[in-house]
Amino acid sequence: MPRRREPRPAPALELKTTRLAGIQIILNSAEHAALVTHISTLFAATPDFFGGEAAVFECGRLPADAPSPDWAWLAQELKSRGLNPFAVQNASPELAARAVEAGLLVLNDAAPAPAVAAVEPEPAPASEPEAKPDAEPAAPASAPTRIIDKPLRSGQRVYAAGGDIVVLAAVNPGAEVIADGSIHVYAPLKGRALAGARGDTSARIFTTHLEAELVSIAGVYRTFESALDAPLARKPAQIRLADASQIVIEPL
Amino acid sequence: MTTIITVTSGKGGVGKTTTSASIASGLAMRGYKTAVIDFDVGLRNLDLIMGCERRVVYDFVNVIQGDANLHQALIKDKHADNLFVLPASQTRDKDALTEEGVEKVLKELEHQGFDYIVCDSPAGIEHGAVMALTFADEAIVVTNPEVSSVRDSDRILGIIQSKSRRAIEGREPVKEHLLVTRYSPKRAAEGEMLTYTDIQELLRIPLLGVIPESEAVLHASNQGIPAIHQKGAPVADAYLDAIGRFLGETHPLRFVDYEKPGLIKRLFGGK
Repeated sequence: MPRRREPRPAPALELKTTRLAGIQIILNSAEHAALVTHISTLFAATPDFFGGEAAVFECGRLPADAPSPDWAWLAQELKSRGLNPFAVQNASPELAARAVEAGLLVLNDAAPAPAVAAVEPEPAPASEPEAKPDAEPAAPASAPTRIIDKPLRSGQRVYAAGGDIVVLAAVNPGAEVIADGSIHVYAPLKGRALAGARGDTSARIFTTHLEAELVSIAGVYRTFESALDAPLARKPAQIRLADASQIVIEPL
Repeated sequence: MTTIITVTSGKGGVGKTTTSASIASGLAMRGYKTAVIDFDVGLRNLDLIMGCERRVVYDFVNVIQGDANLHQALIKDKHADNLFVLPASQTRDKDALTEEGVEKVLKELEHQGFDYIVCDSPAGIEHGAVMALTFADEAIVVTNPEVSSVRDSDRILGIIQSKSRRAIEGREPVKEHLLVTRYSPKRAAEGEMLTYTDIQELLRIPLLGVIPESEAVLHASNQGIPAIHQKGAPVADAYLDAIGRFLGETHPLRFVDYEKPGLIKRLFGGK
């Protein structure tokens, strides 16, 4: 009798490539006092912003003659705020040696620090948008515009990661359009529109026929339980954020 | 070439089964060999509407599970030649419908030379409804003139556009038709109901027909005779028109305009 073939057990170890979502901590100064004050002000408002993400110290912008920062203290300080620094990159040999002493790794061949970038965490949206974008690092602002030319029906949801979205057909009640950038709807907007889903307060919503259930920009939202003001309802309109906290609806 | 038509709506009680029975009967009356399948496993109704409930021996689930062959389960309709009913099981639940099983049955019907297969979808957007629309070539979306029904129809259209085989395989999309049922021109004119143009404006799919609200439908259901056979009744005429439009003919819309009764009509009564 032939023996039944047993399914092979999974091997104890498998190797696969992966891309980690991580945070770059760009050091502009190695001066202890400056680091102490900046870390405390940076995290004062949002102490729980990070949730254990991996992080790398980017040293490419430190002056060549900078003294080595106190790596052990710096790593511990950030760890207590939810960041897990594990390595340094673009460090001079001397800084790298001190980092290794403090238990950090040295990454090779890393891309140099961007010319302009801030270490500040982006401001947390006032209220979390419904569709939580993936926990990937912010996509480049030049993501291509997404174009939708079929009606969006109740229950359907489209998300334009990193860029704008243009909808050429109706957004029906119960449908949801989400974009990291601005939203353009050249048809009746009767569903929900959430622009600036990752906190871009300059994002706007444009439509040729405003009848939305909900609009949101960078997490600041407005519902329309009572009918819209008469001059705006079912008319071309733009929606933007004033003073980062106030939804403004204007005729187009 | 077999065409699979799914009659669906999202919302319950809007007239899917009534429509399935009448559309299938209408196609058979035009000479097409037609099967109508009840996908509402667990709550079977189609056999009642078709008046064949006492002749059900084997059902759709039996055929899927191989307990009976298709020939044993198909019930020949009393009122129309060329029409066969495949009833649902009352004792199982919708999980008994597997995609492979449904595909097998549909393939076999195709093999037997059926021109049209009408799938009567259950309400909702769960497994049973998805099974009913998976293999659709055309969809008749049944909608009542009220907001919740229109919203649910919109939702089911979205599901057709994402979950049907045609959508998944990137073939030509499922052809969608709007059928407005239980329409009262008087109440629409008085603003108590949505008008059929309101509905079409939102759903943006071609209008197959408007079926007026009528007690004849209730009588037809109780007698087990599909409403399309009620000779002379507006409901039957509206369904016959819809069949004609489905087959590519042009018929003006009837039973959609409300005329205020004149003095004489009011004095002497009459409907």
